[in-house]
Amino acid sequence: MFAILVDVTKCTGCERCVEACRLRAVEGVPPDLARTGEPLSADRRCAIEPVAANRWARKSCLHCLEPACVAACLVGGLTKTPEGPVIYDQDKCIGCRYCMLACPHHVPRYEWDRRLPFVVKCDMCWERLGQGRVPACVEACPHEALRFGDRRELLAAAHDLIARAPRRYLPRVWGEHEWGGTCVLYLSDVDLGVLDFPDAGAPPIPALTDPMIEKTPFVGAGVAVGLWALGAIIARRNAVMAAGGRVTGPDGIARLRDEAGQEEEGPDGRD
Amino acid sequence: MGAIDRSRLLKDVLWLLAFAGAVAIAFRLWFGLGPTTNLSDAVPWGLWKILNMVAGVALSTGGFTVGFLVYVLSRERFRPLVKPAILVAFLGYGSSVFALMLDIGLPHRIWHPIFMWNERSFLFEVAWCVMLYFTVTIIELSPTLLDRLRLRGVSRFLHRIAFWVVIVGISLSSLHHSSLGSLFLVTPERLHPLWFTPRLPWLFILSAMGAGLMVVVLAKLLYAGLYDPASVFGPTALPRRRGVCAVAEEPSARPRGPDLPMLRQLSSVAAGVLGVYLVVKLVDLWATGAVDALTAWTWESYLYVGETVTLAIVPIVLVAVPRARRSLVGLGAAASAAAIGLVWNRVDVGIFGYFRDAGVAYVPSLAEWALSLGVIAAAGLVFLYASEYLPIFDQIWRQRESVRGRFVSVFDRTSGVWSPILAAGLYRTTLIAVLAVPLAWVALYPPYHPRAQTDAVAPPLALDVARTSLKVDGDRNALGVTFPHADHQRRLGAKDSCVNCHHLALPNDHATPCSRCHRGMERPTDLFDHAAHFERVAVKDHLRDANDACVRCHEPGRPKTARTAKACLECHRADMRPTREPSGGHGLATAMAYRAALHRTCIGCHRARAEEAGRPKLGDCSHCHEQGVSAVLRARAAGVTERSPTLAVGAAGGAGL
Repeated sequence: MFAILVDVTKCTGCERCVEACRLRAVEGVPPDLARTGEPLSADRRCAIEPVAANRWARKSCLHCLEPACVAACLVGGLTKTPEGPVIYDQDKCIGCRYCMLACPHHVPRYEWDRRLPFVVKCDMCWERLGQGRVPACVEACPHEALRFGDRRELLAAAHDLIARAPRRYLPRVWGEHEWGGTCVLYLSDVDLGVLDFPDAGAPPIPALTDPMIEKTPFVGAGVAVGLWALGAIIARRNAVMAAGGRVTGPDGIARLRDEAGQEEEGPDGRD
Repeated sequence: MGAIDRSRLLKDVLWLLAFAGAVAIAFRLWFGLGPTTNLSDAVPWGLWKILNMVAGVALSTGGFTVGFLVYVLSRERFRPLVKPAILVAFLGYGSSVFALMLDIGLPHRIWHPIFMWNERSFLFEVAWCVMLYFTVTIIELSPTLLDRLRLRGVSRFLHRIAFWVVIVGISLSSLHHSSLGSLFLVTPERLHPLWFTPRLPWLFILSAMGAGLMVVVLAKLLYAGLYDPASVFGPTALPRRRGVCAVAEEPSARPRGPDLPMLRQLSSVAAGVLGVYLVVKLVDLWATGAVDALTAWTWESYLYVGETVTLAIVPIVLVAVPRARRSLVGLGAAASAAAIGLVWNRVDVGIFGYFRDAGVAYVPSLAEWALSLGVIAAAGLVFLYASEYLPIFDQIWRQRESVRGRFVSVFDRTSGVWSPILAAGLYRTTLIAVLAVPLAWVALYPPYHPRAQTDAVAPPLALDVARTSLKVDGDRNALGVTFPHADHQRRLGAKDSCVNCHHLALPNDHATPCSRCHRGMERPTDLFDHAAHFERVAVKDHLRDANDACVRCHEPGRPKTARTAKACLECHRADMRPTREPSGGHGLATAMAYRAALHRTCIGCHRARAEEAGRPKLGDCSHCHEQGVSAVLRARAAGVTERSPTLAVGAAGGAGL
């Protein structure tokens, strides 16, 4: 599984990654490269966010191992590929924007100004990966702050770096465990809570919703069966009470149920 | 004045809102979501989803709860409320689906969930259940319509399967009413802790069931107030004043109509359900540890308390106190409070609960309000007309003296004319449309409402990473000219152009001097437009002989070169500004030469902290300057300027810098 390792201590915020991303991602219309320093938006799948004084980090889709957006999308328009990237199928999207609500990192963006808008988010240069090339942002980074490779190897490399330079890095690889892990990992000497990272122990969001939704068909069927049984029992009880004997058959029950209904009048009804 | 006329004012208002909503719909479809709504990337879900969809569906719960009471529990006394409840459900769901269709970005793809499945999504479940339950309400409602159309055969078949339809409807409802709460379970960090709880589905279904019954009570009261006061208020208590307000403003009357006990009992059931809801909610508040969030007394706390009081405590208290329960005012207030509280709760969860996370307050645009209320108003109109023309509220509506005149004939076949009442209504409605549409058009026209730029997702620190422009102080007189840095970067081949100027800087230069590239002043690519200067000077000074212009800048009697020309500053002093002066938000700063950068910025830090940070000792000259030549210059001489990116991780693994 591919991943990107971001070394926050090396990033200078030059936005070459953003530029490369925009040149790759925008089709037809040449992007306005003079506009810089902006957050993620519909024409910016990758952005540089200041995380502290003199510290920047590349922000984009983190390609979670268990993505909330993939679980949330009702038409299955978002897919977690075995290769790592979470990709978006705009032919399926209906524009409900539930993925935007679900994403714990506030990543997906919407083309609000288009009449027929789509969701915009990083796909880790999915088609470039198919050509055996690295993502555009990684290729563009002049400071080797971005590294692309196998997630396990990158994690090993990250921990190796932490072990070798314990004073340089905080002893935590952001994205290793948060929400069940992400395919964009961060090494840093400042806390990255700014990037909406939770505590390291935060469980993946689908782990909260999947067990509940798996029960749904059974709950529905159970409710239906229970109601049927309850309705039958009560109808029968009413029938027996009204007739003082055993009454069978749906018509008889319905008739007696109606009679019972007319007779039944609560104490409240008389005041 | 017949009883039927009491609905006229209400209908006028609803038509007005509906027409304004129609204009908003047109704008939303033509201009798109961005220009018409105040939604943003920080607040992707707004009024249409939360008010129309989540709250609208919740308000329609009566359709299945009354069905449950009558068909499953055989509480026959509530049977007269089945049809009104189903009508409310049908309209609630219909209007929700309609508003949702306009809310999603691609309305023409509303059918996608039917064929494209994601069984893991709560929204998928909600979509399917709402779709199926809407069909159920249509099936449940159709006998009424079919009876009116005299299709008894179909209607009899539908009556036979009614019990099963109700059972399916209840089980679908129990699924999606809870799932509407589960929708928000995917946002554990984003939703405010007061509202986020794993028990959201339970809270949603309980509150919807309780308040949904109250909505049925409210619908019945509304109907009675407009068309059939005797059924609830008794024969003597008929309020003389028009409209629904009269219901709540008649304290002296002690009304007793035949239907009142039924409503009272239904509200008792509702209060019971709301009591369970209140207990679950409070226990949950304690269990999730959100008490701290409550006692922090932020504005969210007040919303939470207000919502809980309105939705649960007020109705329960009103129903529990016998004196309040017996009065119409008390009953109406309890029902209204529950309905308002339910909407309040849903808006809290879906909108206000996310403000803290979004860091920005979302205020729906005028068009959002218009569309939202317009769709609700349209549903209200359908409710009113259906109550008038279909046997919804009473099986014997035809016999009622107060309404008979209204319904004898909509269209008289023999004379071929429409009923005068209908014709008058059409005339009135047309008048309202003529009034409402242009007004709404002007008020809602999106270009009149430029979109407010939200800084919600903007980076917290100002950043000029591209250094779009710089102050360059070439002659070090503390006056700088604006140097279009980004423009140079672009023209010199953006990617690796930095080195062209910075790495060639001579000692004591901030950067490579401009003149290193801009040599000949008469070259067309030059910054200095010699021809323009020449012309301007000649015209400005009204020189008869153009050649006299030369000496304005060049020393007479010497070769006319850049060297012999005046300094720019001698004329353009006003165009230059002190280097240190902050200006224009561009973060103007002096450019720094490579040498200065390395020696001053990098080495200073490396010397101080290289050891502890595990960085190479740049402080040692020999680290770069082997044999007296800078490593960078050597690399440049060797032609190695391009980094070659690699897939191999291991290769870069050892790089400490």
